[in-house]
Amino acid sequence: MTRNRHTTRKSLGLRLPSISCRETRERGGVPIGATRRHVLALAALALIAGAPGPASAAPADDQLTWGVHVSLAPTWFDPAEMSGIITPYMIYYALHDALVKPMPGKPLAPSLAESWSLSDDGLTYEFVLRKGIKFHNGEAVTSEDVKFSFERYRGSSSKPLKDHVAAVETPDPQHVRFKLKAPWPDFLTFYTSATGAAWIVPKKYVEQVGDEGFKKAPVGAGPYKFASFTPGVELTLEAYDQYWRKKPSVKRLVFKVIPDESTRLAALKRGEIDIAYSIRGELAEEIERTKGLTLKPTVIQAPFWLYFADQWDAKSPWHDPRVRLAASLAIDRKSINQALTLGHSRLTGSIIPDNFEYYWQPPAPVYDPARAKKLLAEAGHPGGFDAGEYYCDTSYSNVAETVINNLQEIGIRAKLRPLERAAFFKGYSEKSYKNIIQGASGAFGNAATRLQAFVVKGGTYAYGSYPDIDALFDQQAAELDLKKREAMLLKIQQLVQERTIYASIWQLAFINAAGPRVAESGLGLIAGHAYSAPYEDVTLAGK
Amino acid sequence: MARYIAQRLGYSLLSLFLLSLTIFLFVRVTGDPTTLLVEPGASQADIDAIREQFGLDRPIWVQYWSFVASLLQGDFGQSFYYRTPVLELYISRLPNSLLLALAAMAFSLLIGIPSGILAAVRVNRFWDRAGKVFSLLGLSLPSFWVGLVLILFFSVYLEWLPSSGSGTVWHLLMPAFALGWYFAAAHMRLTRSSMLDVLGSEYIKLARLKGLPESLVIAKHAFKNALIPVLTLAGINLVIMVNVAVVVETVFAWPGIGRLLYEGITFRDFPVVQAIVLLGGAMIVVVNLLIDILYAVIDPRIRLEG
Amino acid sequence: MVMRSEAIPLPSRAGIVRIEGFPLIPVLILAGIAFVAIFAELLAPHDPEVGKLVARFHPPAWQAGGSMDHLLGTDHLGRDVLSRLIFGARVSMVVGFTAVIVAGVIGTTLGIVSGYLGGWVDQVIMRVTDTWLALPALTFAIFLAAIVGPSEMNIVIILGLVYWTRYARVIRGEVLSLKEREFVRLAIVAGCSKRTIMRRHILPNVLNSAIVLGTLMLGVVIVTEAALSFLGVGVPPPKPAWGLMLADGKKGMMVGYWWLTVLPGVCIMLMVLSANLLGDWLRVKLDPQLRQL
Repeated sequence: MTRNRHTTRKSLGLRLPSISCRETRERGGVPIGATRRHVLALAALALIAGAPGPASAAPADDQLTWGVHVSLAPTWFDPAEMSGIITPYMIYYALHDALVKPMPGKPLAPSLAESWSLSDDGLTYEFVLRKGIKFHNGEAVTSEDVKFSFERYRGSSSKPLKDHVAAVETPDPQHVRFKLKAPWPDFLTFYTSATGAAWIVPKKYVEQVGDEGFKKAPVGAGPYKFASFTPGVELTLEAYDQYWRKKPSVKRLVFKVIPDESTRLAALKRGEIDIAYSIRGELAEEIERTKGLTLKPTVIQAPFWLYFADQWDAKSPWHDPRVRLAASLAIDRKSINQALTLGHSRLTGSIIPDNFEYYWQPPAPVYDPARAKKLLAEAGHPGGFDAGEYYCDTSYSNVAETVINNLQEIGIRAKLRPLERAAFFKGYSEKSYKNIIQGASGAFGNAATRLQAFVVKGGTYAYGSYPDIDALFDQQAAELDLKKREAMLLKIQQLVQERTIYASIWQLAFINAAGPRVAESGLGLIAGHAYSAPYEDVTLAGK
Repeated sequence: MARYIAQRLGYSLLSLFLLSLTIFLFVRVTGDPTTLLVEPGASQADIDAIREQFGLDRPIWVQYWSFVASLLQGDFGQSFYYRTPVLELYISRLPNSLLLALAAMAFSLLIGIPSGILAAVRVNRFWDRAGKVFSLLGLSLPSFWVGLVLILFFSVYLEWLPSSGSGTVWHLLMPAFALGWYFAAAHMRLTRSSMLDVLGSEYIKLARLKGLPESLVIAKHAFKNALIPVLTLAGINLVIMVNVAVVVETVFAWPGIGRLLYEGITFRDFPVVQAIVLLGGAMIVVVNLLIDILYAVIDPRIRLEG
Repeated sequence: MVMRSEAIPLPSRAGIVRIEGFPLIPVLILAGIAFVAIFAELLAPHDPEVGKLVARFHPPAWQAGGSMDHLLGTDHLGRDVLSRLIFGARVSMVVGFTAVIVAGVIGTTLGIVSGYLGGWVDQVIMRVTDTWLALPALTFAIFLAAIVGPSEMNIVIILGLVYWTRYARVIRGEVLSLKEREFVRLAIVAGCSKRTIMRRHILPNVLNSAIVLGTLMLGVVIVTEAALSFLGVGVPPPKPAWGLMLADGKKGMMVGYWWLTVLPGVCIMLMVLSANLLGDWLRVKLDPQLRQL
């Protein structure tokens, strides 16, 4: 192209400036009249026209803004798709309500249901709904909606839940009966905590707009209504004044997606957001030093672990339990805790949160890199080995980096593969990963629900299983004697620990920070919950 | 002139065709494009569905044809991360990048042109040497490092300016400076040489002979004519700025298409990456064409030549 | 970054900083960096890839809290900054030189073929060149990295693929004028095959331009590699690349740990500056005709 331009001009004896984007040839300009300049100027103006400035964000007086560390995925608007992680509850507690849910001081607080009872034969659970509750679109909340929400639930642990339920009856709009196939002591935990089935969505509306339509404009019975959502940017919710429990104090909630930690901190400091989720390490230290900002660490029910996805593959180095143990011994949990969470996290050797029912207290994890190296040598890998990829949720790359650093010290070389949260969990559950997975789960439940999802055959996140553990688990599921059941669950956890199926790291202290505009941030009100909740209790300073 | 324009148009279309072909082929160069075209963490069922949707089993020219067909309809795919059509995303972010590029351009011209003129007028003396140093620095300091150092001084130490995000003119200052820095040096150089050429031309000699004072010669005659190539370059540079602002936008968390590209690569959102490459290249081809046509319009010689 | 590729640092008409004099300092700097890169194992006081968390964020030795053990401080994982800078030099050198050579070989070859053979071969190659030149280099590089995944080897190939076009056009221009020269015509008359002519007569004469371009491209390539590493698609961690150090250091910089970003940036700047100055001097020295480059 340029060649022709030059030919034309050269042959005319002129040296007009080359205007190819690729060259800065220095050729002089020929005196050209004003007209041409004007044309060029006009052209430039035409280019400029229609370039609006970026939106400004000044916090309104009756609004609170959160700086969220992950991108809000539309799948999190729908309790039917609860994927076994705690993140969507950030939205559930605002948009939706459940029959029974964890509240401050009460792990099983009656919400949409005002009471429930169990029949003497242990086969029927009956829930009594509160009267006069309406969804955001004015429809009444009835037993039909409860049945609908149950049947439509397809998220984590949906199979074990539905396998145990023979039928759901709706004798009248205020009563729902779950008839079990056999007595199941864990029904309530599974129904209300381990799954999202107890979070109620409006049947008529969902059938009308379909699942995709629901995710575009969700309707629920929670304290806040859906106002608008810009994917990857921000979610706005408005107070639902007819919420049964109380009228929300803050009129508008805005959730801004700011995945970059320094940007999030900067926004908090400047007052662009009022609460920032997940500030770690040196940035958390900075908050402690800043006046007007409060650091709020909460130990959440989210143990972090390394999962050795290939341990069932005889050809993989991870097949040998000594190698797995070596990896666990190499992790300097104390230093990582101090560095990343200022010492607030709770070190643990278990994948089950310590406040869960049927929790077994394992021996404290040990840091012994020397012994780790010896074990590796014994297992036939004296110089370490190339462990391939290390998958993690991108918001916890900082933890991953420190762990990889430790592993490298004993010779295990791993390559970090961070994935955005929703994608990470999808791949995790699809069993797409190999080698090392750094996983975590903050979902509600008890030891049995966790084991079911992560250890036992058929579990959403279990890449393999051990027959003896499976057998034991099946036994305890049917066991009515609570003492015997507990013993079995404790034994299973012990086996998990002995075989180093997982190398646990810690129970994360989730560190949030609140700015001066916030009176009650809702952080830390519900035990073990990482985010602000309940939203109807959140208040602005001076209101 | 019509023939000239038609020729240019032809070349541009050819370039666009080659562009799309290049991108298309590269995506398939690894043999299995499903890893790119499918969301990270997808199941085998998802992969099969994508295979079906893109017709990956069909012959390559058929695939290319449907690829081009969808591009022409404005379908650049769906973002995995945002779950919206990529073109929509691109268009929503583009104004932010334009704004940044304009500010950077303004800065680069404000610094570049006067210093270039000064260097030319005081050729080989102090200002010229200073200009050379400036020019060297402009080339050698990566824009994102300039941005980082600016943040260090103005946000961390002095706390005068916000370190990231957008919304007010204070947010714009540092990224515009960082982005415009390199181009300021480029514009300075071009202004200088263009000015030198003009100062040595017959036209100017005539003005001097006429007895006009030197400053008037410079201000009135030389200046205007020397500016032409610079402004033309500036026009193209504007478009280039929009496309190369990836790192600056990332450093400052500026919500433009550069940042979108960064998100695309970080979140393994391939449709976004592919679209930005295609649209970036297309943008430059189109702007080149427009400039060519503009020149055809304003240059009577080309107009008459046809 | 499209601009950068052809940008010529200093105008030819006026004096360059060291037009007559050999650019001593830049060459010394480059040689120094090369030396450090080669003898990295001997020079680096610590392992650049592993660190102790308890030693994180130590400032450089001359600041309060620093120690002679970590002359330039430590990063967020407790890794020694000096050692990382030293090994990073190796990465920059290796990637930089190799990419320049790869781009140079491809570009020069295609430039010669295109310029000498002419005809449709020329047309095709030129069209492809023009098209690829329209793609902004960094964007194109990111795109390629997204496809093949980041690794040191891949980055070199990617940079080569992105930048060969810069060579091709210039070399082709040279070849076009060389074609008309006496000695080439003689060779044709003498019955030399096209391949022989290209290899024996054309190639040595364009080598000068290629070398000059190479030195000028070195700076560009290094900055691009740094940008790619900064964005996370360059040399993968934990290998110390200067660009990667900049990315890692950003968070710490926000709370005042300046050495994590300033120091790697200074290294990049020194290397690029020196390469540019050297390239400039070479351009004038080797072939005055190239002033118009």
